[in-house]
Amino acid sequence: MAGNFWQSSHCQQWLLDPSDLVRERQVDFAVVTEEDYQKLFIFFSNFIQVLGEHLKLKQQVIATATVYFKRFYARNSLKCIDPLLLAPTCILLASKVEEFGVISNNRLITTCQSVVKSKFSYAYPQEFPYRANHILECEFYLLENMDCCLVVYQPYRPLVQFVQDIGQEDLLGLSWKIVNDSLRTDISLLYPPYQIALAAMQMACVVLQKDGKNWFAEIAVDTDKIQEITRQILALYDLYKTYDEKKEIQGLLAKMPKPKSQPSRPPSSAQSQDGIQGTNDQSMGVNN
Amino acid sequence: MDYDFKVRTSVERTKVEDLFEYEGRKIGRGTYGHVYKAKRKETFATSDINKLISADQKEYALKQIEGTGLSMSACREIALLRELKHPNVINLQRVFLSHTDRKVWLLFDYAEHDLWHIIKFHRAAKANKKAVYTPKAMVKSLLYQILDGIHYLHSNWILHRDLKPANILVMGEGIERGRVKIADMGFARLFNSPLKPLADLDPVVVTFWYRAPELLLGARHYTKAIDIWAIGCIFAELLTSEPIFHCRQEDIKTSNPYHHDQLDRIFNVMGFPHDKDWEDIKKMPEHPTLLKDFKRNNYQTCSLMKYMDRYKIKADTKAFHLLSKLLMMDPTKRFTSEAAMADPYFQEDPLPTSDVFAGCPIPYPKREFLSDEEQDDKSDSSKQQQQQQQQQQQHASQSGSSNHSHGHHPQHPVQQNNMQGGMHPNYSNHPGHPQQQSHPQQNNSFNQRF
Repeated sequence: MAGNFWQSSHCQQWLLDPSDLVRERQVDFAVVTEEDYQKLFIFFSNFIQVLGEHLKLKQQVIATATVYFKRFYARNSLKCIDPLLLAPTCILLASKVEEFGVISNNRLITTCQSVVKSKFSYAYPQEFPYRANHILECEFYLLENMDCCLVVYQPYRPLVQFVQDIGQEDLLGLSWKIVNDSLRTDISLLYPPYQIALAAMQMACVVLQKDGKNWFAEIAVDTDKIQEITRQILALYDLYKTYDEKKEIQGLLAKMPKPKSQPSRPPSSAQSQDGIQGTNDQSMGVNN
Repeated sequence: MDYDFKVRTSVERTKVEDLFEYEGRKIGRGTYGHVYKAKRKETFATSDINKLISADQKEYALKQIEGTGLSMSACREIALLRELKHPNVINLQRVFLSHTDRKVWLLFDYAEHDLWHIIKFHRAAKANKKAVYTPKAMVKSLLYQILDGIHYLHSNWILHRDLKPANILVMGEGIERGRVKIADMGFARLFNSPLKPLADLDPVVVTFWYRAPELLLGARHYTKAIDIWAIGCIFAELLTSEPIFHCRQEDIKTSNPYHHDQLDRIFNVMGFPHDKDWEDIKKMPEHPTLLKDFKRNNYQTCSLMKYMDRYKIKADTKAFHLLSKLLMMDPTKRFTSEAAMADPYFQEDPLPTSDVFAGCPIPYPKREFLSDEEQDDKSDSSKQQQQQQQQQQQHASQSGSSNHSHGHHPQHPVQQNNMQGGMHPNYSNHPGHPQQQSHPQQNNSFNQRF
């Protein structure tokens, strides 16, 4: 749907205020620092990207999945659903919405397993623990928490138009990559896609030493917003300079708030429940 | 997934059955699922149990999507309806996700009428030689609002893909009285194999009557022009009370888009297209099959003008002129929704009205509830087989007396099953063979009522 962004649920419900994000994240910030939180999100954005590429999805679908992922945690603690489960769920839902053919449950799980093993074993030495039924259950929660807002506008389409309009097609490659990088920040939750596209293009102009001053002067756009976006992307690049994900991520994942599959109660009663479950399993085995 | 999170969300979640009364109030069922006429339940305010919140008396359509979980078509439907806002497009009020049985429910405003029932009513009246009193501009108003809604969808790059009378709803009494609501967008359904084969879900028939010729010739993509063709078919049907490209509906399990009988029917009405009228017909995937199966000479006397003239729609009327622009065989020459809305037909008296009933009494009955037993009967397979045998016998005798070349297909059993009502595009009370049908005895069609 290439409809009207201004009347979309994206514009009306899902352009958040930075203070909203900070408020919602207080629960998690009690456990991990703001920087750790950002690093975790960089990691899972990468995971979604790699997973999507292995499933041969278009960047548009991957970007939508990433925005779904961020939308869920903009309203919920990391503790509610394990991000390792939510990530493939977002991929599944985005691929259905963007109509690029259904990914079979089996293929999704197998790809998760092989991607975790081949690309992310530095973070997850164990096997990918989830099955199709976990993802399908999770999908309902994702849809519900996004208030059924599934159509996401991405910066790619406006970017292509702007690059054509400015008449410097060689800007596209770099600005496209900058947009991809912006998925590792909160930008997609805070700014409309056309502003992100403009910021990426302006950054590309600077790097490639192209003169876009006149073009940018002529378009009526809130330059403060463009500067804010640029600052956040530059902050991401600064972080990359000193951050070694391969070294740090296991420690961060260990610290991350985690779901508890049992009700919170004293350890003794939790144990007894485990015991009951054990016998149940056995008796079922006997019956069969 | 976190246990406390699950508990908390399940407490907070409103369940459809807590909020709405819909048991025994089913009004439709089909490939899309089940539709109920629902109303709000009376609820007690949690703060004060003595204070009864009287339920609002508004009626709703509650659709339980076929199957469980989120199919691609369910996803597309929710995703797009969530964004759409136009007076002539059905408005999605709310989505209910039932986590326990993994059912998806969609809540819409209730529309009392639809064009399938309206046309059926007129046909029955015609058969009984009874007049139906409707405003002069009703057909025009209906068409204008259909075009308005489709224009909105098309300008958002959404194709309906499944336009037919059953999907064009009309609001009954209330603030939106007589307003067209386009419903049941085909979304992804036609592209992807549904969980169950379409034919297994009786009593719905997948109809080819509204399919554009390029689709029947194997066009791979849906286009705006395909929706416009369907609107042309609906317009003709509103004018005559007969489906213009009526065709027996067998072979519905086939995945092949090429449909000989449907093409034959189109050519019987429209004539066989000349190369100059539709240059790209040569590029159609099924063009070789077309040349092999059809002879131009067999259709030399056919034209839309002649067909409509039998229903007293003269070629010099604005209605006919617009119809011929909507039913252009060449999709590139077909009108767009925009061009159609600017057509002089809509500027000529009587002008279209926003209440298609123009304040007059609504002559059509309200929807009836479908009983569950009835449906159990219908899905009874032995009964179905019986019917099929009967029909085949019937059909054998029919085709014996008919000079049509395609009389050897067994008729699909589903057609008969539909008779007990329901909002499905099936004309089980149809007066027999298309050939007989194309000679109408009397013309109680809408536009000549006054």
